This record gives sequence, C-alpha cells and structure tokens, in this order.
Amino acid sequence: MKTILVVEDDKNQLLLYEQELSREGYNIITARDGLEAIKKVREQLPDLIVMDITMPKMNGIEAMGKILSEHKKIPIIINTAYSCYKDDFMSWSANAYVIKSSNLKELKDKIKELI
Amino acid sequence: MITNVLKDNINNVINNLTDALEAGLALLDKELNILWANKRLSCMLSLPYDPVGRKCREVYKCECQDIQHCSVYQALTTGEKVSCEIKLVTDKGERKYIKNITTPIRDEKDNITHLLKLSLDITRQEEKVHRLSLLRKLAELMQGTLQIDRLLHLILTCVTAGSALGFNRARLFLVEKKQNIVYGKMAVGPSSLEEANKIWNEIADKYEGLEDLVKASAETYRYDTPLHMITRLMAFSLTDEKEIIVSCVNSKKTILEKDAFSNPNIDKKFVNKLGANEFVCVPLVAKNEVIGVICADNVYNGKPITAEQVELLSIFANRAALAIANAEVYRKLGEKNRQLRETRERLIRSERLAVIGNMSAYIAHEIRNPLVTIGGYARILSREYADHKKVKQNTEIIIEEVNRLEKILANIMDFSKPIETVRILTQINELLENTCSLMEPYFKSGHVHLMKKFNPTIPKIVVDPMQMKQVFVNLIKNAVESMPQGGKLLLETMTEDEYVKIDITDTGEGMTPEVMQNIFVPFFTTKVDGTGVGLAVSQKIIDDHNGFVKIKSIVKEGSTFSIFLPIKNAPAELSGGER
Repeated sequence: MKTILVVEDDKNQLLLYEQELSREGYNIITARDGLEAIKKVREQLPDLIVMDITMPKMNGIEAMGKILSEHKKIPIIINTAYSCYKDDFMSWSANAYVIKSSNLKELKDKIKELI
Repeated sequence: MITNVLKDNINNVINNLTDALEAGLALLDKELNILWANKRLSCMLSLPYDPVGRKCREVYKCECQDIQHCSVYQALTTGEKVSCEIKLVTDKGERKYIKNITTPIRDEKDNITHLLKLSLDITRQEEKVHRLSLLRKLAELMQGTLQIDRLLHLILTCVTAGSALGFNRARLFLVEKKQNIVYGKMAVGPSSLEEANKIWNEIADKYEGLEDLVKASAETYRYDTPLHMITRLMAFSLTDEKEIIVSCVNSKKTILEKDAFSNPNIDKKFVNKLGANEFVCVPLVAKNEVIGVICADNVYNGKPITAEQVELLSIFANRAALAIANAEVYRKLGEKNRQLRETRERLIRSERLAVIGNMSAYIAHEIRNPLVTIGGYARILSREYADHKKVKQNTEIIIEEVNRLEKILANIMDFSKPIETVRILTQINELLENTCSLMEPYFKSGHVHLMKKFNPTIPKIVVDPMQMKQVFVNLIKNAVESMPQGGKLLLETMTEDEYVKIDITDTGEGMTPEVMQNIFVPFFTTKVDGTGVGLAVSQKIIDDHNGFVKIKSIVKEGSTFSIFLPIKNAPAELSGGER
C-alpha cells in the first residue's frame, strides 16, 4: 500500500483529504505545517506528498525545498487556494500544481498519475 | 455788344472756376429747385442727367423722411448756414459719403432769395474711419476665439468678407519649426467665378453684419472645397528661398506681386497652383517670429490690390498672429491639462484595481478553503447516501451552490493575479475570427445573428493575443447577454487615425447613462449571476496596451463598444513581437 503524506493546516480539510484518499486505497499520514512535514518524511518516507503552501511555522514551498534536498525522488503535488504561486519558480520543482477545489477529482487523478 | 461779350467771358470764367473747385456747387430757389450747378457736382454724384430744373432731394437722393430734417430746408427757415453728412448710392452703384453745406443768399433787403449748396466728397475719410473701427471689431472677434481651427477660419473669413477686407480668396500657411517647413493649412473662398457670384449674392442677401457672417461661416465651413484641398497639399522647405511664401517668412515683409506670370524671380509652379497673377503675401508675426503667411488675391473680380488694402491686411495680420499665438498657448495648456487628467484617472484606476486585487485575493483564499471542505464533505455525503433520495437531493444542492461560489472565486482570482504578458505582432482580424469560431455554439444558443465587417487592410499590431481574446470574449458575451431575445451582433474593424478600431455593436437593451458611468468599476454588475469583473479586466488589459474604449448606447436600441488599439507601440515591444 502506497503512503501519502498530506500537509495541510486546516484541520477539517485535512480530515477530508484523509477520508477521501484512504478510500482510494492509500495509507495517509498527515502533517499540520512545514516543520512537521519534514519530520514525518524523515520518519516514514512517504511515496508522495500533497503540500499546501500557506501554513504557519514553515510554508509549503520552503518545506518542499528542504524535503527535496534530502529525498530527491519523492513526487510532490502542490495543493493551494492561490493560483499566483504558479509563477513562483520554486513551485516549478513540484511535480504538479493543483488549485484547491471541493471536487477532488483533479487531485486524485494527479496522484494516480505520479504513483 | 461789348458788355455781352464781357458777360459771356465772365460766365465762362466763373464756370471754369467753379468746375476747378474740388467741390460740387448748386444754386437753389426757395422751392428747393436746382437753378444752376457746376460740372463737378454731376461727376461727384455720377448723374446721368443735367440736374438743372430738378428737385434738390431727387438729385441728392435724400433719405430723410420729413422735410423738418432736411438741412436745406433748415437753412431756408433759420437763415443760418447748415451742414450735414449723407450716405448715398449713385446710379452707377458706388457708395459715397457726401458732406453738404447750405448757405442762404440774401438780397439788399436781407431777404433770402436763393440757397447755395456746397458738396464735398468725404468717402475716403469715412472709409478710413470705417476700416479702423472694422479692425477693432475683428480684433475683438479674434480675441474671443481660442480654438485654433475656428480662429484660423475666422481670420480667413475676415480677409475675404466683403464687409471686412474684401479679398476674393485667402489662404493661410503655417510655419512648422521642427520640420523646417511652411505648409498650407486652410483656404477660404470660392473655387470658380460662378461659385463666387453665387456666394456673394447669397451672403449679401443673408447676413447683415460681420459677426453674423463669421458665425454662419464657422458652421458651414467645408473642408472639401478644391481650393482648400489644393492649399492643404502645398508645403515648402524654409531653405527654398525661391518660393515667394518662404521669402515672405524669412524677410518678415509683406510682398505685393502685381504681375507674377512675367516676374522671372518667381517660381511658376506656385503661381500656376495659385492661379492668380496679382496677389499679396503678408507674414503673421507674433513675438518677433513669423508663425505663418496669409496669401490673398482678387482673382475673380480682377480688382487691383490697392496700397491701402495691403496696409489694412498687414495691420490685420499682426493682430491675427497674436491671436494665433494666444490660441496656440491655450491649446498646449489644454493638451497638458488633458494629459494630466488622464494620467490621474489612470492612476486612480490602477490604484483601485490594485487594492481590490489584493483584497479579493485574500478574501478568495480565505473563502476557498472552507468551501473546499464544505463541498468535499457534501460529496462524501452524496456518495454515501446515494440510495437515500432526500439526503442525496439536498447534498446535491450544497454541491451545486459550492460549485457556483468556486466559479465566482476563480473569476476574482483571475482578476487579482498578476498578468504575464506576451506581446507579439498580431492581425486583429484573425484573432477576432478565431474568437468568433470559438463562440459559435454560444451565438446559436442565444439566437444571435453574427455579422462581420473586417477591413482586410488594417495593419498588424503588437498585442498580447491571449489577453486580447479575453477582452473580445468578455465584450461579445456582454453584447449577447444584452439581447436575451436574440438580435444582431456586428463586429467591425477599421483604422482610425493612429489606431486600429474594433467596434462591437449589439441591438440589445442598451444602457442608461448611470450604468454607462459604472460599467468599468470592478464588481459593478447588472446581471443576476455576474461577478462584475469582466469589463474591469477588459479595460485593464486595453489600458495596458495603451488603448482606450469608447461606448455609445441608446436604451432599447443597443450599444457599441469601440476598442482603440495604437498602431505604433513602443519600438522595444515591436521588435520583441517580430522575433
């Protein structure tokens, strides 16, 4: 079973991703900010990371940089409410960029593609 | 016998003497019949008959209605010398001012037996006075006109008006310092003798004073007369000393040319274009600089140009030059003012857009997150209760509403997101064609009849095609939505001045002036499900392209949106586009 790390500061949204992605047959681990995400990656080495950008403590782009410097091969999907980070070249190192929507189809499709 | 000879001689001498006088003389009896008159009187009044034996008022064409005002009668009744000035038109059609002095002649018993009427021709003096007052009036008229084209036209009208300077035709040339040329700007006057006669008759019938004429001619001035067109095509380099206009500019002196065709020093091309053998060129000097030249002639009635006319024209030209300089300053001021106002408006608009952009990005983000959660859970519910009809139906409603909100947010996010521009050389017609085929199904569903009038000669211009397409889609959508019952949509392209112009015309509801004022304000909308950003975004894009939008709209008839995009954009952008 593939393990996905979902990084998201919004508690209820995190719960939603957990439920929905578990249902797709993935093992879901979660983190509430960038620092926690780095810790979780070191401990459990997930197969894919879904990363929010605006979060407390450490934002998703910074966390992504740190994670990628340690584990180059983990695919990362940026999942954000902002479309403007698309132009931030740091976000180009992510494998996909999904704009948050209540319809999780796009996110699920991208995960399937990358795993 | 001897006495008779002597008498005859004396008569002759008296006749010769009185004829030599610069004055008309007439002897009247008490019934005001003319008993004797000298020849000079007949000349002065251009009489085709012998005045002797006729009534005084008949010969002098007196206009005073009752006899109380008659100066001759006054002299007769008061016994005093009486003088008066009269204005008359002779049988030959000349206007004359005559000063009459009537002196009673008495016999030994001091009874008045006869009257001696002395007449002086004061036409020339009167004309001088009249001209001075005319110049004053013209100067006043000119000072009151600050709009340059109107002023120039006024000046030429004054030069040609019979009631003013009375030339047949007048052309105005202006000096363009930057290009070192003097060019034809405007011309007033008939193009042929027939037209001249027609116009003069018309004018004489219609207009009383100069003000009247000037007012009327400003409204009826036509720019398509052959004379005007020929003049507009004239331009001379200021280094070309052989040209008479140029030498007039350089010498700052009035040039009166009496016989241009046989003058070897004059360029024949110019004379031929002018079509006049005799003409006068007067420099327009303001602040010691020649700003232009007035060239006037009498080609139709062939009247020689008198020194007096030239002098008058020179004085007039000085005044005119000052007025032109004033108007130019005023125009520059207005231009600067307009630029300032436009910059200010642009600044305010972009400031407002920036604030709204930041705010909407923030709000959109804050709302989108909970929306994702709400919608996401609603989907879970809907899936898990797929066989529970009521729960399914209700959760579907939640999903639908969330979708709608998300769509609106997407719109706002587009608006707030900084736009990356790609400027390339684009044929607008193709872009429009492309947009139309994209929207084909949309037209069909809206029962809209699409008409295209694309001018194939419009040049390619540098734009961001994606952004411009966005503008077209927004405006065309608006147009279609204003015709819920269907209608005609006309797309037109053309060049206008320095711009490519795109007209989008619908036969829809039209807009009230209040709506028109607000349509570019972000989040202003009259539609039930609109977000009010479409037009704001469109305008921002057009602004970014240094273009502008004009709107015409009539309620219940429809609207036209005209997009103006500059043909010449910054050269850097152009080279970028051609790469």
